[in-house]
Amino acid sequence: MPGILPYIVRRLLWAPFVLLAVTLATFALGRFGPGDPIEVLQGQYNNPEVVERIRQERGLDDPFLNQYGRYMWDALHGELGTSSTYLGVAVEDIIFEKLWVTVQYNLLALIIIFAIGLPAGIWAALRRGTWQDPLTISVLLLFRSLPVLVTIPILQYILAIKLGWLPSGGWDEREILGLKLGIFDKRIIMPLLVLSLPGIAGVARLMRAQTLEVLDQDFVRTARAKGLQEFVVVSRHVARNALLPMTTIVGFALVGLLGGSLFVESLFGIPGIGQFVWKAVLNYDYDVMMAVTLITATAFILVNLVTDIAYGFIDPRVRLGGRGGG
Amino acid sequence: MLGALAATTAVVVGVAAALVMGGGDDNENGPAATNTPEAQTTGTPSGATSGDTLRLLGRDPITMDPACASDVDSAAYVIEIFGGLVTIDRDLKTVPDIAEAIPEPVENADGTVSYTFQVRRGVLFHNQSRQVAAEDVKYSMERALNPDTQSPIAETYLGDIVGAKEFASTGEGEVSGIQLDPAAPYKLTITIDAPKPYFLAKLTYPTAFVVDSNQTEGTSCFTNTNWQRRANGTGPFKLKEWDLGQRIVLEANSRYHLGAPLLAQVEFNLAGGSAVTMYENDEIDVTGVGLNDIERVRDPNEPLNAEFQTGPRLDIWYIGFNVEKPPFDDVKVRQAFAHAIDKDKLIGTVLKDAVVEANGILPPGMPGYNENLQGLEFDPELAKQLLSESTYGDDLPAVEIASSGRGASVGPVSEAILGMWKENLGIEVTIRQTESATFFQDLRDGDFQMFEVGWVADYVDPENFLKVKLYGESKDNESKYRNSEVDRLLEQADTEQDTAQRLALYQQAEQIIVNDVPWIPLFHDEYSVLIKPYVKDYVLPPFVIPRLRYVHIEK
Repeated sequence: MPGILPYIVRRLLWAPFVLLAVTLATFALGRFGPGDPIEVLQGQYNNPEVVERIRQERGLDDPFLNQYGRYMWDALHGELGTSSTYLGVAVEDIIFEKLWVTVQYNLLALIIIFAIGLPAGIWAALRRGTWQDPLTISVLLLFRSLPVLVTIPILQYILAIKLGWLPSGGWDEREILGLKLGIFDKRIIMPLLVLSLPGIAGVARLMRAQTLEVLDQDFVRTARAKGLQEFVVVSRHVARNALLPMTTIVGFALVGLLGGSLFVESLFGIPGIGQFVWKAVLNYDYDVMMAVTLITATAFILVNLVTDIAYGFIDPRVRLGGRGGG
Repeated sequence: MLGALAATTAVVVGVAAALVMGGGDDNENGPAATNTPEAQTTGTPSGATSGDTLRLLGRDPITMDPACASDVDSAAYVIEIFGGLVTIDRDLKTVPDIAEAIPEPVENADGTVSYTFQVRRGVLFHNQSRQVAAEDVKYSMERALNPDTQSPIAETYLGDIVGAKEFASTGEGEVSGIQLDPAAPYKLTITIDAPKPYFLAKLTYPTAFVVDSNQTEGTSCFTNTNWQRRANGTGPFKLKEWDLGQRIVLEANSRYHLGAPLLAQVEFNLAGGSAVTMYENDEIDVTGVGLNDIERVRDPNEPLNAEFQTGPRLDIWYIGFNVEKPPFDDVKVRQAFAHAIDKDKLIGTVLKDAVVEANGILPPGMPGYNENLQGLEFDPELAKQLLSESTYGDDLPAVEIASSGRGASVGPVSEAILGMWKENLGIEVTIRQTESATFFQDLRDGDFQMFEVGWVADYVDPENFLKVKLYGESKDNESKYRNSEVDRLLEQADTEQDTAQRLALYQQAEQIIVNDVPWIPLFHDEYSVLIKPYVKDYVLPPFVIPRLRYVHIEK
């Protein structure tokens, strides 16, 4: 893969422009949108002079570009501003901690989703034409369609209140190898179930469709015609080819899971980034919103890049960079 | 008093409005109600064991700095950790805290009024570094007012003190109305600009609380706030742990000068969760109940019913008119709109009786609350008649009501009211829903014809509702309502020292206001709370007061 280094460099050169555009837009939304943290603090009273004075002292009256420039300059130096959800707390002191909580259980959910979803999809595809295929697909469709706002209370009622097997939620960390981990506690079982079931369903359905497509390809017929064992046909020829498109969704599935954490975290009482961002938005916490935007955009860029590169390795037909004909 | 409840932030009001007006949501109502409760408990606990932990759901405080806290969520903790000269007891009376006694106001020749406090001996900061003296009180109030502290609310609560406003804008010198006596380190005289019977009530608000200057030097509401995680106050509980967004643990201050708490500690779970489920699963000891669960817990056959309690809150939700904008510049139109609302139906059906109908302005529990106040009854015939008698007759200009809210749908309360106006008056009112910051901005600017909004008590005094919201000159009078008789009564009440007389003046003013209809009072919120049977004396005051020290657990 000779062209890969220049390709990566070229892609990374674009990253600052993407980040600039995204942060500028978010910053503008915050500054030109209604409300600010000072008004929030002032409560139901009306003292415009005081608000104005503090706004000036805090630099919120400076020209927009000055404010933006100041923020980005600090951000480049690792200072992401101060929160107004927790007044005065440095954003970098809080946001990574929250993010880590959410990333932990979402990564675990992602592993479960693919570990179960992929084989289930292949299995269903191979059972095409039997009663097992439609049954599997219907069950999966049901899982996929159940909103978490329905599944969570039901699970809590059964597993916590009726059976008493699990706490209704919460987050308990223990330190393992210097890392604060909350995923080795039974409290995490219900959130994982809730996150995984629809994910498994989605992945399995996609995998089934991919597998079916590959099954109809000439090379599969050829493989079978050569007299290869069915297991070899499926694992070497079918699964490998069907898996290709799945690689593209791994990264985005993770980012998507992160975005969908609000309900799970609120109903299970998990102190992660989903709840935190929600609070931040309600508090006009500009700096937290900016930091989240920066982190999310960076994650997307990296995921995108890694996916493209991985794709190149897995499928030799894909040429990176698009130059040199293809 | 204080404070308690004090002030909710615009956002809290907005959110609360959205929730209440929008029908509520368990999860959101739960923790809030948990924070503020009520309860009529009397008698001294007997046989209480120390060493117990009370487990509550809590909300994240924005700040633990008394000078900056203005929202209920923050105040609920600040008020347990810190203290000031005076505090508020379970009967909502202003009582001494750090002060030895409640001083009598002394009128000076120039019309100002002085209060001389004796600071109690032996009041220790939590870290036991030193005793509180008069200079700590002066320091704390001046710090709150100092522009370097950037407190958006200090002037609101301390602005009556002579020299406070000047100091708040320049930060130079000192506040002349807070005088120390060099010969008496425990004596402090506070002078305010005019007689104001509600001034001591304002001092129960966190803004006037004592902080440790060793911690707070060089800090502001927005910067260097890390000291707050080890906040060193004088209140009944010490802050043992504050893990942002996860947990707050308060530990009993066994040397608390008004009597040590009966609990060993109180744990607040800040990460949320499904409140009622957690309660049923014995993970928390108290929870608020939202509209989704309320019918279940009210059912006498439901086991939880025995643990269900309700209590009033000092607030009001109302529809306000801008009385300068047509067609609401005609009192008959306003009366017609009021008579066209069937509050019984609204509260019974939409709000499942989880609130209390409002006839007047003052909520039950507020001194001066008038049970016999004559409200505007539901009477569609009279409503139509008033409308046709108005200067607009049947030719009403377009009418729009503004409300604050998030999301594209209109709350069920607004929807029901619009339906009643259409049905009973034949008027199609449109609704403008805006995000809360914009809403409050426009409200202050007087942009709306009509609006639905709430007001939450900041201190337990009728002045906080009637004078602040409906006095002609008040800057918080968004209705632009002005009635010279009402203004005269409110001014008179401001300086009337006889409590009964004073409350009578407020009641007179309130009745005139109700008849003039600058507002259509809708309802007062109620707490709906589940409390485990082993939790005793869990007071549910209508208002944020220090209350955890009364609680004990008997298992």
